[in-house]
Amino acid sequence: MHIEIQLTREPIPDHWPPPAGARMGAWAEFRGVVRGEENGASIAALEYEAYEPMAEREIRRSLLDLAATWPCLAAQVIHRLGVVAVGATAIYVGVAATHRAEAFALLAGFLNRLKQDVPIWKRRALPEVEPPSPRKIQPALPPEAGSAVTAILQRLRQLCPPLETERVPLHAARGRVLRETVDAPEDQPACDRSAVDGYAVRLDDASGTFQIVDEIRAGDWKPRELHPGQAVRIATGGALPCANLQVVMREAAEVRGPVLRVRQRDAERHIRFRGEAAGKGQPLLQAGTVLSAGALGLLASVGGVRPRVTRLPRALHLATGNEIVAPDQVPAPGQIRDSNSTLVREFLGQWNMAPGQRRLAEDEARLAAELQQLDPALDLLLISGGASVGEHDFTRRLLAGAGFEIHIHKANARPGKPLIVAQRGRTLALGLPGNPLAHFVCLNLYVRTALAHWSGAAQPPGFQTGRLTTDLHSDGQARETFWPARWRQAAGAATLTPLRWSSSGDLTALAEANALLRIAGGTGQLPSGSVVEFWPCQE
Amino acid sequence: MRILFFAQLKDITRCAEMQLTCAETDADGLWRAVLAAHPGLEPHRGSIRLAKNAEYAAPDARFTEADEIALIPPVSGG
Repeated sequence: MHIEIQLTREPIPDHWPPPAGARMGAWAEFRGVVRGEENGASIAALEYEAYEPMAEREIRRSLLDLAATWPCLAAQVIHRLGVVAVGATAIYVGVAATHRAEAFALLAGFLNRLKQDVPIWKRRALPEVEPPSPRKIQPALPPEAGSAVTAILQRLRQLCPPLETERVPLHAARGRVLRETVDAPEDQPACDRSAVDGYAVRLDDASGTFQIVDEIRAGDWKPRELHPGQAVRIATGGALPCANLQVVMREAAEVRGPVLRVRQRDAERHIRFRGEAAGKGQPLLQAGTVLSAGALGLLASVGGVRPRVTRLPRALHLATGNEIVAPDQVPAPGQIRDSNSTLVREFLGQWNMAPGQRRLAEDEARLAAELQQLDPALDLLLISGGASVGEHDFTRRLLAGAGFEIHIHKANARPGKPLIVAQRGRTLALGLPGNPLAHFVCLNLYVRTALAHWSGAAQPPGFQTGRLTTDLHSDGQARETFWPARWRQAAGAATLTPLRWSSSGDLTALAEANALLRIAGGTGQLPSGSVVEFWPCQE
Repeated sequence: MRILFFAQLKDITRCAEMQLTCAETDADGLWRAVLAAHPGLEPHRGSIRLAKNAEYAAPDARFTEADEIALIPPVSGG
């Protein structure tokens, strides 16, 4: 049975076309709408919430279970999340079968299961409609053009729940995502330390002249009582010998032999007090933190030498195409060098991943065999299409034939329209259109989103806004366009310079691009200074 | 391990998730640790199902550091 599931914050369309299929004799549809009354009180809307990856899984499981009794051809389930107004569709279910009896039975059985096992909740009833707050800067994004990429990103978020974790040594942890909260095991610092080079004296001792009775260097531990008139020479970071002291800076002191004369006492005690940086048990690093050099230094300082991080995804990249040759070869007329393999390898390398890579001719039998033999533990399969005719259907057919469920088969965006997102078991497959700029866009938008959600990072990537530094001449194309650009921070705001881009096969822009401008479909010219949305790329 | 809360449970815990550090344990051990952090969940325990890595957990399931646990209160979709 073919199953499609969407958990969406977008309204469910009023009409949903039945799937095509010669064997289909019945298409049974159900819409659940929000009633104007909940528990006896009249309401304006309901808010739905879901544990999305599990809800999808439970929906699928229920459908497959029921299909064992009532064989059907296809099922489409759409459930709204967020605020749904009274009268609007909260759930849509369509079931295709050869005969109506199975379709009705499966539909009814599914709705019962839904209300028992699928983790979706009516969060609260709203007395007034609260429109969801869209974060759009660009006015009037046509929904057909704008929603497609948004929907793909949302689908990827659902398909990529955080991966399992592992403990790794510090030298292998940079750039990885911490999955545990690390607390201070003891007060930081663990004792009162001098903040300067100088002389420790009693705070209550107003003498001007002191006898130097000891010397404390960093690393020394020499607890002792200081009496009035006594001082201890102490280095920066040295542990103070007792409480209620003040450190007089070396610059404010004169020393003759064992005698210290203080020229000037100030109010500052020049002490880093115990627990000042962090008290014992206080969180130093939160789960979801991307481990930087600084974070690793902090971990080292508290003995956290094997942090728990998300394991790296296992990835395989297949570059297909009859016209590609290795970069170190000279292409024959009609051939091109394979730049995508390098692009993919280096892109994934930014996240410490080392994908397996193979370059294959577009030989259907050979590729089908390759897909059958995939390691089931593989997380990410990237297939770069060749440029030959029908490449898109080719990859889609291959994946479907190998038992992958196709979630997305076209992006309403350019470059990168012939995108495929599919899944089999734990393996997420992305079919990428062959040209390099499309690769760059798809890697940065879709693969990056998948990696970020797998990683459990607290701050996944997203669109930001900035201003154009020059006029941008778009061609008014209906599809949403991602335009290579260079962004930088200037006077506290992002500025974006669009890069020259002649065709989607154009590689020259890739060398400089560090952002993708998001240009709404139908946009003609954007004057310099326009506020635009952009997606920053890793550099 | 990561513990997720949903729906009305979030109102009780005042958070959507928490991080729990504990050795491998069973459902009872997990509940003890969760209730120690959020005693307000106690009255709801009987109606909450545990999920492990986005699937309902079997009664004899073991939970480890690597698991994502969710507390599933009675569902109300549709």
